[in-house]
Amino acid sequence: MIGNLLQKNNLLKKDNLIVFIFIFIGLIVCLIADDYLLYVATSWLIFGILGLSLDLLWGKAGILSLGQTIFYGLGGYAGAVTSINFSSTIGNTFILALPIGIFVGVLTAGIIGYFIFYGRMGELQTTILTYAAVLVAWTSTLTFSYTFGEAKVAGDNGLSNIPSMILSFGEGVSELSEKGMFLSLLLISVLLLIGCQRLIKMPFGKVIECIRQDSHKTELLGYDIRKYQTILFMISGGIAGLGGALFALWGNYLNPSMFSVTEALLVPIYVLVGGIGTLVGPFLGAISIGALSFYLGGFSGGQATLVIGIILILMVLFFDKGIMGIILSIVNKFIKKPFREEAIEINIGKYNIAITSRWKKIRTDQVFKSFGGVIPVNNIDLEFNAGTTCIIGPNGAGKSSFLKVCTGIYPIDNGKVFLDSLDITNYELHDRVKQGIGIKMQKPQVFKSFSIKENIWISAYSKTRNVSLTNKTTNDLLEIFGGKKQGHRSADSLSHGEQQWLDIIMVLALEPSVICLDEPAAGMTKGERRKLSTLINILSKTRTIILVEHDMDFVKSLNPKVAVLHQGSLFTTGNIDEVCQNENVLDIYLGRK
Amino acid sequence: MDFDYLLVVFLSSLSSASILIMATLGLSLLFGLMGIINLAHGEFIMYGAYAALTLVSVGFPYPVAILFATLFTALFGMVVEKLIIRRLYGRILYTMLATWGLSMVMYQSVVLIFGTVTPGLDFKQSNITIGDYSMSSYLLYMIPLTVLLLVGLYYLLTRSKYGIMARACIADPQTAAAMGMKTKKLNMITFSIGSGLAGFAGAIILPLVSATPNMGFAFVIKSFLTVVVAGPLALSGTAVAGSFLGFISSTTASFYSSIIGDMLFFTITILILRFYPNGISNKWRFKL
Repeated sequence: MIGNLLQKNNLLKKDNLIVFIFIFIGLIVCLIADDYLLYVATSWLIFGILGLSLDLLWGKAGILSLGQTIFYGLGGYAGAVTSINFSSTIGNTFILALPIGIFVGVLTAGIIGYFIFYGRMGELQTTILTYAAVLVAWTSTLTFSYTFGEAKVAGDNGLSNIPSMILSFGEGVSELSEKGMFLSLLLISVLLLIGCQRLIKMPFGKVIECIRQDSHKTELLGYDIRKYQTILFMISGGIAGLGGALFALWGNYLNPSMFSVTEALLVPIYVLVGGIGTLVGPFLGAISIGALSFYLGGFSGGQATLVIGIILILMVLFFDKGIMGIILSIVNKFIKKPFREEAIEINIGKYNIAITSRWKKIRTDQVFKSFGGVIPVNNIDLEFNAGTTCIIGPNGAGKSSFLKVCTGIYPIDNGKVFLDSLDITNYELHDRVKQGIGIKMQKPQVFKSFSIKENIWISAYSKTRNVSLTNKTTNDLLEIFGGKKQGHRSADSLSHGEQQWLDIIMVLALEPSVICLDEPAAGMTKGERRKLSTLINILSKTRTIILVEHDMDFVKSLNPKVAVLHQGSLFTTGNIDEVCQNENVLDIYLGRK
Repeated sequence: MDFDYLLVVFLSSLSSASILIMATLGLSLLFGLMGIINLAHGEFIMYGAYAALTLVSVGFPYPVAILFATLFTALFGMVVEKLIIRRLYGRILYTMLATWGLSMVMYQSVVLIFGTVTPGLDFKQSNITIGDYSMSSYLLYMIPLTVLLLVGLYYLLTRSKYGIMARACIADPQTAAAMGMKTKKLNMITFSIGSGLAGFAGAIILPLVSATPNMGFAFVIKSFLTVVVAGPLALSGTAVAGSFLGFISSTTASFYSSIIGDMLFFTITILILRFYPNGISNKWRFKL
């Protein structure tokens, strides 16, 4: 599926190689290490799982949660309580502890994530809230005492007598040996690693990466980013909860220090040391930190806090790529072939997407928007039908603001917006896009770390939600924009004008019924402008096009209907020739009294 | 429940709110003016408390100790800005991580020097009586002191050359730099003022709260939440959010228990954030 889209980027191979090396090293360690080292190394893998849960959030989605230990701790306690109560009769503690650990992690993360993401909090607020949650969890667990069946949770004294890892079923079955525990953890870690790698390659993961790069654009493509972020947060919480449950079985004892700030501090350190966004990095980080303290005889006593604090500061200041990041950047230097960049030829003639959607009418009814004392949109009634309508007016007339109110980028103060007969006034941005509104903002918005092809793909996928259909649309649209030969170029390497075009093509990939363009010709050469005008004339036969534009020559080449705005109000409407002859319009533009 | 009791509850709740505002001001100033969150804020408060404690125990009068403790934390903040914060401008999450690491280092350094046991100090406590009830007069002083602090900061930031330039740097750093303002130096001063405020808060509450290495944690949870609720306006946002949250939780605590008061604090915070995710002052049209 999406795999063949990425195969040529070498990513698939690289991922498999990483997993292979990971297993290989694990097996070697298993062969040469003694029982005690294996026992300790098992805990490093558990910490790696905890780190992985953060890397998925921070590295892939750009969400820094300092609260991973909450899910870890709660998952651990929940798993421990079930194991204590049922393992004497059922046996297998993996079945008892892990699912409940995952469940508690997912549930807690779901609740916290709902408030954060559906509340649309900023990244700063997200980080502070998760940190405050850690402090709350820590102080409240210190005094929390309760008896669950045979399990006695005794505040600061912790929860003891947790059964170890047991694989067989029945009463009186034996525990796994150190080697068995290590191998189980190796297997679980590898499965999680592969699972996360796959998740990121799936369309879900692609959308997550889009959100990290430009959350606003992702929403303009019709994805409900709140949903994606919350689901990812829940997955991450589940992984952390699983780690906690494993830790409970490994150590046979839990206490509130699991929720402590020192413990929470270690999680981003694992990710930073290993390499953020690499998924295998957190394991590398946890193993490095673990091995360091193991061979240096441990950070004695309270000095651990001091050493860990200093390590975190130094990592952030001087070493933020981590071990894996450095390895990958060296490897990439050898793998990446030098690529001669050519200008991209825009070929409008190749645009032959079969139109599946009909044009729709947009109507505004007394829409009003103010920012404090400024009123950029003052009770405007307008109707946009099939064909091109240009919104013109001098600077500060409220053209862009009006377009943003229509498209839902600005919440509306008063009035109504209709799409055909549907009242979309209170629709979220992504819902409007799903109803068939395609929006291109003034500045080009493309996902810079994606290739041209991936950019078009993720946009087309929003409309079709079907991989093979999306691949077809992507290939068709790619023909307009330099063809397959250029498709693997990173969007970062494109010029400003080329990015404008890519953005326009991404809007086309949504197959919208209504296309809103805010100064699309800005930064384009004369030749490109001519092509854009051709494209808009083709599109205007079947769709509603709303265009905000300054350049009158460009506007004239489209022969559109025109709406003139002045000081936030509708001044006049008509076709382009009428308006150009209108003395009052000239007065406004030239500032004549 | 008679009138006197209500008055005492009212005054002590107002004092608690004032203490919350004082403990938050340094944090919110850095957030409002520099856009960063200093996760070591609680430890700056703790440093201020220990600095004052040390000075008093070697014989300095308490007011002098407060002054020097404030200066000490301000200086320390300046060093931190130069060594850490400056290198991370524009990378908010990394700034938070670095200050988080710093908080642990600061915490542990105090544990190493002073131990975890509180050195005792005798402050003469005077009480005032209201009807049948009495309350600490020192606690009452906190109310006018906070008002003074807010007014003083307002004048510093709106009337002084530094304040105007610092705000220009926030509004548009590039234009400010292009007009010849030394943005680096201004940021250093701002960070140092924020740290100094934290130290001042730590020193001033010494008679009310005993100094321990983990006293920072106790303050910082509510301060963080207050800043998030307050939003970008450092003074007005903090004053409103701090007095509202502090007053409600403290009143509830006096009638029920402090745990219920804390729970109410968190619940209200979450509710407010649900409707104002970027803080209550996000759309206010004040300067500060």
